[in-house]
Amino acid sequence: MRTHAISRSGNPLSVRVRRGCGAVAAALILFAGPGASDAAVISASSDTIFRLRETRDRDLYPLYEYLHLSTVQQVTGGVVSFNMGGWGRVDLADRTTEDHTNGDLQYGYLSYRGDRNNLVANLGRVWVTEGVASERIDGAYWRSDLAAGFMASAFAGRPVVTEPNALAGGDVIYGGRIAHSLPGLYTIGVSAVKTSQVDDGADVLEREGIDVWLHPVKQVDITGISSYSSRTSGWMENTYHLSLAPLHDFRVSADLSAINYRHYLDGVTTPALSVNNALNFGAGTSAAGANNGILNPNEELFMLGASVGYTLRKNLDLVADYRHFDYKVQGDAHYFGANLTYTPGTYSAGLQIHRMDGGAERLSYDEFRIWASRRWGKVDVTVDLFDVLYDHDINDVSNSFSISGAVGYQFSPRLRATADVEYMRGPDYENQLQGLIKLTYAFDVKAGTEGRAK
Amino acid sequence: MKNICLGLLVTVLLSMLYACAHTQSLARVHPEEVKGLVDCGECHTDRWALWNHRAADFYNKHRFFADEQSKACNVCHQEAFCADCHAHKEEIKPSDKYKDEPERNLPHRGDYINQHKIDGRINPAYCVKCHGRQNNERCRSCHR
Repeated sequence: MRTHAISRSGNPLSVRVRRGCGAVAAALILFAGPGASDAAVISASSDTIFRLRETRDRDLYPLYEYLHLSTVQQVTGGVVSFNMGGWGRVDLADRTTEDHTNGDLQYGYLSYRGDRNNLVANLGRVWVTEGVASERIDGAYWRSDLAAGFMASAFAGRPVVTEPNALAGGDVIYGGRIAHSLPGLYTIGVSAVKTSQVDDGADVLEREGIDVWLHPVKQVDITGISSYSSRTSGWMENTYHLSLAPLHDFRVSADLSAINYRHYLDGVTTPALSVNNALNFGAGTSAAGANNGILNPNEELFMLGASVGYTLRKNLDLVADYRHFDYKVQGDAHYFGANLTYTPGTYSAGLQIHRMDGGAERLSYDEFRIWASRRWGKVDVTVDLFDVLYDHDINDVSNSFSISGAVGYQFSPRLRATADVEYMRGPDYENQLQGLIKLTYAFDVKAGTEGRAK
Repeated sequence: MKNICLGLLVTVLLSMLYACAHTQSLARVHPEEVKGLVDCGECHTDRWALWNHRAADFYNKHRFFADEQSKACNVCHQEAFCADCHAHKEEIKPSDKYKDEPERNLPHRGDYINQHKIDGRINPAYCVKCHGRQNNERCRSCHR
């Protein structure tokens, strides 16, 4: 059974802050050790964001602080680092509700990277992307190149999930991936991930998969994955992309994707994206194993797409794209259009026009976007218009649009301020105005040694 | 017993392969600072040449690059970059947080309360990647 009452919160902000402070203290103790100051690099960035929003029943003025911290220490044979990122928020206008504060530790881990074999060992809150696994865990992650072109990775811990509707995301997670590469030619990997609950030992998800990256010649690139759900006994996904670049300025791509909702949506923690157990179930899935969601478990999607891109001249790119959605239950839909972007440097602009043409009423609309950005010295200005024209009115509205303007000022290489305003009108908002002010500050010790923007 | 033996065999084999491995690790940090939507092919002629961040298919393929070569992503991107979209809990839409970076085509522009009903019908698998097991607490407002 995947459904049970979950309470991991208590006072979530204070718990996370305590954990975060503990992790920071541990890292600082580690990096303050003998000789640490000789080669230690400490970099951090702060984003202070003040939003002004109105909802149907009240105005909101939330103040956010995003903080990212990284400390790096050269050691014999590699590098040890501590990386942490998180945010906190308080609403300045309304302190009556219990959620007037919130926060989260996005990541926080101690890491060792070896000079050889691309060895990585992480411990803490880590985001793992290894084949069929795309999970954030509180635990340990390890990967290394092996001999003869092999590599391996493994991870284990507790899944970091949100469970708003008491759909269990699991208590224990573990998995790994083994791959073989011939550099410049191919990489083929097999991976597996399993999540289960501690109290009754029930599996929440169990997946295996094969992923490929073929690069037979410089102009051809094929990537893809086939994943299988052992818990529901069926193929979740077969997705493959082909990229051809016969000329540097001319690219063609094609992609296909086959997704089975019953198997693909197994393990999600919100009914908004899970299947409905009141609908017919086929072999391999029991009603007890399904969620009380809104999606049809019998639906299967086959998507075929292609795009053609041409660089008309340096920094001026034109792309035409097409996607065909073929549903087993819902019918067909086509999405096609073109993008034109110009990004020479001090200014940039883009135009996007797309048409969604589907069988269902809501799947018939035209979509437009036009944007432009210009920089004058330390000042930059951006304007962005997004418009959707529905063939059939939604809530008696046929046109949904938003227009936004942003101004940025670079006080120094470390300090930047931006402010933006957005006006929206659509089926769900008659008129909505919102604004955001952001102050970004980067502070480094031994600045310049990192060389990366973010 | 059979599974234990198989596990031990794989462990021994992997340990031997690990002991014999001697590849040079990728640079931890890109030697030159790069900004914006980079076309790696402007400098690279090797396997990184196809990492053109401006290419139409790069957005769809970045998950495969992250699976296979996250160490290469990390040469230029810190984890905060990924966490902007792939968040455990996040209250600000990526397109709202970076209105001054329109070229990134960040998701959920405009009246997404309405549009999510359409996108969710077209391909819920897109939604699952970021909202399937994380960052879905706001779904509870309507989906109970």
